[in-house]
Order: sequence, then C-alpha cells, then structure tokens
Amino acid sequence: MKILLMGHPNVGKSAVFNRLTGAKVTESNYPGTTVDYTKGYMRLGGKDVEIIDVPGTFSLEPKDKAEEVAVKMLKENRDSVIICVIDSVKLERGLYLALEIIEEGYPVVIALNMWDVAEDKNIWIDVEKLEDILGVPVVPTIAVSGKGMKELVSRIKEASTVNIEKIVEKAGGVEQ
Amino acid sequence: MRKKLSEMDYGEEGVVKSIEGYLRNKVAGMGIRVGKKLKMATKQPIKGPVVVTVDQYTISLGLGIADKIIVEVEE
Repeated sequence: MKILLMGHPNVGKSAVFNRLTGAKVTESNYPGTTVDYTKGYMRLGGKDVEIIDVPGTFSLEPKDKAEEVAVKMLKENRDSVIICVIDSVKLERGLYLALEIIEEGYPVVIALNMWDVAEDKNIWIDVEKLEDILGVPVVPTIAVSGKGMKELVSRIKEASTVNIEKIVEKAGGVEQ
Repeated sequence: MRKKLSEMDYGEEGVVKSIEGYLRNKVAGMGIRVGKKLKMATKQPIKGPVVVTVDQYTISLGLGIADKIIVEVEE
C-alpha cells in the first residue's frame, strides 16, 4: 500500500507530508519531466508505508506538465490510499478534485487543512455532515502546527471506496 | 444586465449565468460554476488576466477564458 497526498497547489500538502514523515524525507525527480515529487516513509500500524507528495493539481484533466505528472502518478498507483488535502477556505473547489478522485474509485481521506485560517475568516465547516454525505473520513488539520495530524493518521485505515451515485443521492441530487 | 466576465467593472458583483461548454470542467476546478457569485477584483493591463473574488479567495483567469463566461450583474 502507498499513500498519495493530493490536492490543489498551495493547500499545504508538503506541510502535511513533512509532519507525517518527520525527518525521513528523500527527494527524487520524476523521469521525463522537470516536475519534482517527494517520497518518504511513515509508520502506520507498525509498518513503514511509502507516502508520496504529488504535485498540486486543480483537476484530473491535466492542463500542464505538473498536472500531467499528478494524474499519471494517481493512475500508476492503483493500490494507493489518497489523502486529499483541501484548503478549508476554498472548500468547494477542493471538493471538486476530491470527488473526481473518489469517482475514479480510490479510497480517500480528506484533510481540511488551514482550519485556523478558515476560523479567522469566520468560516465554519460541518465536518460530521460532510463525512456523512461523502462517506469518507474528514479531518480538520493545521499542518504547520501539527493539529489534527494524529487523527488523520489514525483514520487512514477507515478510507474506503465510495460509489459516487450514493454521494449524489445523499447530497440531494443533481441540480440541473 | 448580462455581460462578459471580462467586461465587469472594478468591484462589480455578478452571478455566473453561462460558461462555454468546453471550459466548464476547466473552471470548475477553480471553483467557478453556473450560479456562483463573484466579484471583480482587478484587471491586468495589456490584455492581461482578470482577478475575481469567489467566496473568500481570489483567482486569476486568462482574458480568453473571462471572455467566455457570462455573468448577470445588477444595474
């Protein structure tokens, strides 16, 4: 099993990555492109698990090289659990990517990062309700301070694949 | 009144009414969809990108994209 950290650019994926891996960070270059990704290991259930910091992408329809790498890495690691890092302030567009990944059939855990920034902006997210609708674990995090990281790690095992139709139904159907 | 997103004035607010088909998925990843409220923040000179505020964050869009998004603004 591998863990992929995915999300938009600038949502704190690398901050989460550093928190999860500690000092055991190795850097590598993806062949054929100029875009870097970072690979490391974290302890999960007594085992070392590989975790990859994927370049930021807005959607799974790549618009540039970095996004192509991101999508390619997702497709090449079919057996992965995806930690989808979302900027809590930009929840809606973050969910767009998360739903695309869920739709592709990957088990997902959502980290609502920069929770403190959202609080400062008077944004409050009903985490329980979001979890109920999506059917995947949703954890508020503040990667720079480490808040929520333990819960995020402990809930990786709860990640499971969800049928997108079920989410649509729970969310109250599609607006036309 | 309906106008192109690129024609909005500084500080003007509007609601997205339509987006040219092939662009829909592209801008959805940036948080723009039909029904979304947005506000013009800045326009860069020399056919540069426009910057709009959606919810509580700003995004920049190329002029070519902003030309293909129609918004309803109050008069």
